[in-house]
Amino acid sequence: MDLFNSTTKRFRIPLLNDSVSAGFPSPADDYTEENIDLNEHLISNPFSTFFLRVKGESMRNAGIKDKDLIIVDKSLIAKPGDIVIAMIDGEFTIKRLSIKNDELYLKAENDNYPDFSFKNHIDVQIWGVVIYSIHSYL
Amino acid sequence: MIISSNDAIALIDANNFYASCEQNINPNLRNKAVVILSNNDGCIIARSPEARALKIKMGTPYFKIKEKLNKLDVAVLSSNYSLYGDMSRRLMNLLKNYCEEIEIYSIDEAFVSISRANDKNLYPWARNIRSLIYQNLGITITVGIGENKVRAKIANNLAKNIDYSAGIFDLARTRNENNYLKRISVDKIWGVGKQTYNWLQSKGIKNAKELRDMEENEITKKLGISGKRLQLELKGYKCLPIEKNKKSKKEIQVSRSFGTPVTKLEDLTQALATHAIKASEKMRSQNLQSSNIRVFARTRKYSSQNYQRSAHRKLINATDDTNSILKIVVELSKEIYNPEYKFSKAGVLMQDLTNSKYLQQSVINYKSQKDLKKSAILMRTIDLLNKRFNNNAITWAITKTTKSWTMNKNFLSRSSTTDIEQIPTIVK
Repeated sequence: MDLFNSTTKRFRIPLLNDSVSAGFPSPADDYTEENIDLNEHLISNPFSTFFLRVKGESMRNAGIKDKDLIIVDKSLIAKPGDIVIAMIDGEFTIKRLSIKNDELYLKAENDNYPDFSFKNHIDVQIWGVVIYSIHSYL
Repeated sequence: MIISSNDAIALIDANNFYASCEQNINPNLRNKAVVILSNNDGCIIARSPEARALKIKMGTPYFKIKEKLNKLDVAVLSSNYSLYGDMSRRLMNLLKNYCEEIEIYSIDEAFVSISRANDKNLYPWARNIRSLIYQNLGITITVGIGENKVRAKIANNLAKNIDYSAGIFDLARTRNENNYLKRISVDKIWGVGKQTYNWLQSKGIKNAKELRDMEENEITKKLGISGKRLQLELKGYKCLPIEKNKKSKKEIQVSRSFGTPVTKLEDLTQALATHAIKASEKMRSQNLQSSNIRVFARTRKYSSQNYQRSAHRKLINATDDTNSILKIVVELSKEIYNPEYKFSKAGVLMQDLTNSKYLQQSVINYKSQKDLKKSAILMRTIDLLNKRFNNNAITWAITKTTKSWTMNKNFLSRSSTTDIEQIPTIVK
């Protein structure tokens, strides 16, 4: 197993270049290598970045909806205002890390969902900081 | 024999690596006792600290301990190598940024070199890298530092077993080295195998200090140059370099144990074909081609009917084309099949590998460039589709009949970090 290249390598298939058909070469042949790669643009720390899927509407007011794809960078240190993923009571939770009266808590961005105080739960772990959410309009 | 360099060597390894990977991506397993089973769900090969605390032993066959695990509410998992492989790749790439050179030694350990100019204190470096890896991956590492590989390995062992070490130990910076070396029994020293161990026992040499101080000639006479090297490293000289590019591979192997023993030719062929498809794909992903294709099958290792056979075909032109390889593998499977035996394991090896970038087509048996190009495009398209959709979106008909032989993986967790269909769900 080539540990360094197994998934960092990008697959590009410039089919134009390899086309078997005879005839005139396409003038675009020399330009087919460049693709826009979202990994490159959205992810700055690929080795600490993970993907998760949202279920439910607890973050609706923050623009995060059911079935959205969430990109999480674990290398970032969470600070108030960040949307974070936490492990609480055996589940992944998404909330906004917030401060009220000098105290940190996890805020749901939907009035129908409860906030989360660290006081009532011994075993809370901030797992990572959300850097993007991707929503499908189809 | 002795390398002169002031770089320190550290052996860095992940604690309870497989269990940590599982616990870190599944909130349900956090702080819970977790055990991982070997291929085919045979026996316990990894435990979380919580499972260790319950005195569950490594290597215990699963069927023997099934009820006890159930009673103790221990989570049981099949080994999930797509998860562990991905986490290992992440770990090694992160480590790479914090050292001069790295030699990946196994899925969860690496030797690294770091400069120790002006006799620098390396504890701050080690603490930094340790908290960084924990923050980034949720994995705890142990850092053993020494002048060379043998002493780095000893330091790693001490870091794990000394309570106040906090996962870090620097053997080059200790005042009472002899006391520490006495704690390391010779069988724990890197490079001491069973035979060497027995010989040292007979000589009354029990620990690392005694081996270090043993009469030089006696070691060299019995163990040769490798023994001398080992002793020199124990003394603090550097003899074994960091092997950065150990990765130029000589062969690619795909093999699996069967869930239930295989007796029919049809099943054997199907299994080998499946492995051949996987192996060809691996070759292509590394730009390699093989000119020697080998298949093998064997019965249970310690059973009364011990049978194993292999067969191979040398090719004039190296290939990475699944179609050509499958044809050969199907023929070879007939050669190794024997109806009198129950096969428990079979595999495919791609040998005599060459880099396809520097491919030389021989003049004999010349295939037209057009054909080659066509097959290359087809293979790349299949690889791409399989990569984009889940594995085996496209495969060969030969693998698609009923599979009675596949490995048991009854408790497999998800490919949470590598497959978009299997990523974790946030429920609240």
